[in-house]
Amino acid sequence: MSFYDYAYLTSNDAMQFVKATGVTLYITLMSLFFGTVLGVLLGLVRCSKNRVVRTLPLLVIEPLRNSPLVTQLFLIYYGLPMVSRIMLDPYPAAILALSLNTAAFMGVLVHNSVSAVPDGQWEAGLALGHSRVSTFCHVIARQALRLLVPQAITLYISQLQCSSLVALISIMDLTKLGQNLALRTLRPFLVYGIVFLIYYVISSPLAALARRLEKKLAFHY
Amino acid sequence: MYKLNFNFLNKYGGMLLEGMWTTLALVVCCLAIGFVLGTVMALFKQSKVKPLRWFAAVWVDVLRNTPFLVQIFFFYYGLPVLGINTSAPNCEIIRAGLMAVKKDYYECAAALGYTRFQTLWYFVLPISLRVAFKSLVNNFVNLVLTSSVCFSITVVETMGAAKIIVGRVSRPFEVYLLILVCYCIFTYIVSFAAKLIDKKIRIEL
Repeated sequence: MSFYDYAYLTSNDAMQFVKATGVTLYITLMSLFFGTVLGVLLGLVRCSKNRVVRTLPLLVIEPLRNSPLVTQLFLIYYGLPMVSRIMLDPYPAAILALSLNTAAFMGVLVHNSVSAVPDGQWEAGLALGHSRVSTFCHVIARQALRLLVPQAITLYISQLQCSSLVALISIMDLTKLGQNLALRTLRPFLVYGIVFLIYYVISSPLAALARRLEKKLAFHY
Repeated sequence: MYKLNFNFLNKYGGMLLEGMWTTLALVVCCLAIGFVLGTVMALFKQSKVKPLRWFAAVWVDVLRNTPFLVQIFFFYYGLPVLGINTSAPNCEIIRAGLMAVKKDYYECAAALGYTRFQTLWYFVLPISLRVAFKSLVNNFVNLVLTSSVCFSITVVETMGAAKIIVGRVSRPFEVYLLILVCYCIFTYIVSFAAKLIDKKIRIEL
């Protein structure tokens, strides 16, 4: 291999791209999973009848929604070891930060879609002798879900793109690989073009799905 | 127990303020670019000329489906990429506003003898922008948060300043916590102001 070969993309680089795509997907999926679970919990607590209980999740949600993800990531990755014994590796730190961020947005979505179901549905359920929990599970939840699903997919897409920020704490995901290869080959246009394409191929079908679901599940009272 | 120490503010507070100023300038510029481009794209999407529609569709699709960090490296230092990036969601929002203007309005304007451009300028745009105002502000808040990524191409805005300060005083927790709170306060003020303005200009269609 001569010196000039470094300027070209090789089959090894192709493997690197596959691997990096795997890393991106892994981080995104993990954080989406934890984020969704936590977010649904937060959202449900937001729907509580008790005013104090209802405002508690806002303490978590609001700061997370109103500050940049990069700052949150750095606070967890660089800041946390300074104030406690918790010293996270890049991967857990990235997944934690992304999950919390997802959870905050998810919580708001869940709350919004539950409150978008008209009060009449609640009253009807209660009038039929269901308990509040039972009304929620059998009447409200499935209607709220129809509103939630397309919005949640849109959120997932944007979180996939946010996952590129983990490159800043030296995780070898697609973005970081693109950076490295662009520096090595001095062909940023080609390399980032490929990176663009991979992200696009992953997220564009999801976007199309969200649009279709939105049309299909839309309903009017 | 770790003691929080904000002494670095004496020496580096000015730098942080300068960074915030840069953030503000950056964001306002990008807001203008993103708003104009977004409006143009939204109009393109509604246009009767097919290539214009396609162009706008590709524009929005590509920008929305790729990460901002990659975009910023791709376009590198040359282009006002943040403004371009924010034009995509703006376009969707304004288009939703345009859709809210019913056909009657066009007919009404036509009956009054307005040209197409006048209809757009005096009837359609003011109404749709009022409808879209709230979402546009939401998007602006998003823009403020996204602007923090610009530190990765060495723009010394709030995040960039924070990173430099952390490098010098090695107090990452305090510094990042501080700017996190600053971002929160700023976005809160924006949202609050938006709510007040929205109450004033809201119209029922």
